[in-house]
Amino acid sequence: MNGTGRLFRAIAAAATGIALSACAASTEGQLSTVDDVNDPFEPANRVVFAFNEAVDTVVIRPVAVTYDTFVPEGIQQGITNFLRNLRTPIILANELLQGDWEGAEVAASRLFLNTTLGLGGFIDIASYAQKEYQSEDFGQTLARWGVGEGPYLVLPILGPSNPRDAVGFATDVFADPVGYAATDGFNYARAGATVVDLRQQTLEATDELKRSSIDYYATTRSLYRQYRLNQIGDGAGAEAMPDIPDFEDIPEDEGAPVIDDGSAEQGVPGSAIPVASE
Amino acid sequence: MKSLATALIGLLLVAAAPVRAADPAQAQSFIEGLGQRAVEILNEPDLDADRAVAQFRTLFRESFDIPTIGRFVLGRYWRTASREQQQEYLELFENMVVETYARRFTEYSGETFRVLGSRGEGEGDTMVQSQIVRPAGPPIQVAWRVRERNGQFRIIDVSIEGVSMAVTQRNEFGAVIQRNGGRIEPLLETLRGRITAARQG
Repeated sequence: MNGTGRLFRAIAAAATGIALSACAASTEGQLSTVDDVNDPFEPANRVVFAFNEAVDTVVIRPVAVTYDTFVPEGIQQGITNFLRNLRTPIILANELLQGDWEGAEVAASRLFLNTTLGLGGFIDIASYAQKEYQSEDFGQTLARWGVGEGPYLVLPILGPSNPRDAVGFATDVFADPVGYAATDGFNYARAGATVVDLRQQTLEATDELKRSSIDYYATTRSLYRQYRLNQIGDGAGAEAMPDIPDFEDIPEDEGAPVIDDGSAEQGVPGSAIPVASE
Repeated sequence: MKSLATALIGLLLVAAAPVRAADPAQAQSFIEGLGQRAVEILNEPDLDADRAVAQFRTLFRESFDIPTIGRFVLGRYWRTASREQQQEYLELFENMVVETYARRFTEYSGETFRVLGSRGEGEGDTMVQSQIVRPAGPPIQVAWRVRERNGQFRIIDVSIEGVSMAVTQRNEFGAVIQRNGGRIEPLLETLRGRITAARQG
């Protein structure tokens, strides 16, 4: 495989990141506090985010909408299944690296069943045997090994990430045995199909989010970090739940607010109202 | 002997459970009941969109503890707001939530709602796990955080695939306030505009 093919694969896999803007990278196992957005490079990140949005609006989204409109649902599902099957070797490797033997067993059975009975992966036979698809990547593996996420980053084209997930992503791309076994042409096609497939799956959700959010950048950042945390915990998710205080137990009078335009950051010294999750 | 040991362990576990904890089974049937009511609204013959939205508004107001959620979402800025701002904010927040979700609910088609189970969460809350099964694609995992107060159950957070809506909203509002130099007024202004637009749309 030549360098261009590899680069293209990297870009394509990355664009996956855009599609999954809600679903990318990670943490030490817990959001440090609810309010810590972990975004020291926010001004630069916002610029890249705007660029990515523009690319999405002009190129990626229109292609995904066309695909969604003209390709029958059954075929779309077949393509999703096929692409997931191609990712299964790398998922299996990550399950093993995480010491998740049960997950590894599921990934191995999926690879075998879907490649054979599932006609090369187009039919997800394994899911009928309760062996459901679970996405694993090297960013999650690093998290399991105790590597911190580092600051939030928005990568060009790839979208929301952080140093750990970016390294994890690159590692997955370069370690993928399918990439080495296949021809360049196949790898290009796979990369393009992956972008379109993932973007199509998130069309409704992202449209809705954009419509209802006041600050789409901030919403995406919050979603990305929470979603990654949930992925790292394999869906356990419970640790991320905030502590929501019982406000009605707090006497209103003791928290008498400062009457001004709200710019007093210092707040009310000695206020009895606990600030949630701080 | 074995069953006696099991019974003893069970007894110990019950004794060790926090006193405040509400009965998760009750919280679960509360969510199940809500799901049924929602389905009933959607299945009404000759349902027009406006009436459906109106019914969902009522359902939302009755089943979500919007003041608690709203205050959590404003976070530390709650304290820096004047009492008038706090009051207006809570009103705007309630309207925003109701307008956004009530309309969205009436757009659903072909999905089914299934409650899977429940467990205790934090001090006395219950997480009710459920699934929204779609005609295509994998089911969506939705967890409802339910709090009991004076015998009344109310939802205080919804978690979709592990993503807390309360946290997401709090991070977003926090970003908006911060970008406006810590002032709350611009957020209120934006919310006013949103609600007007949603009602016209």
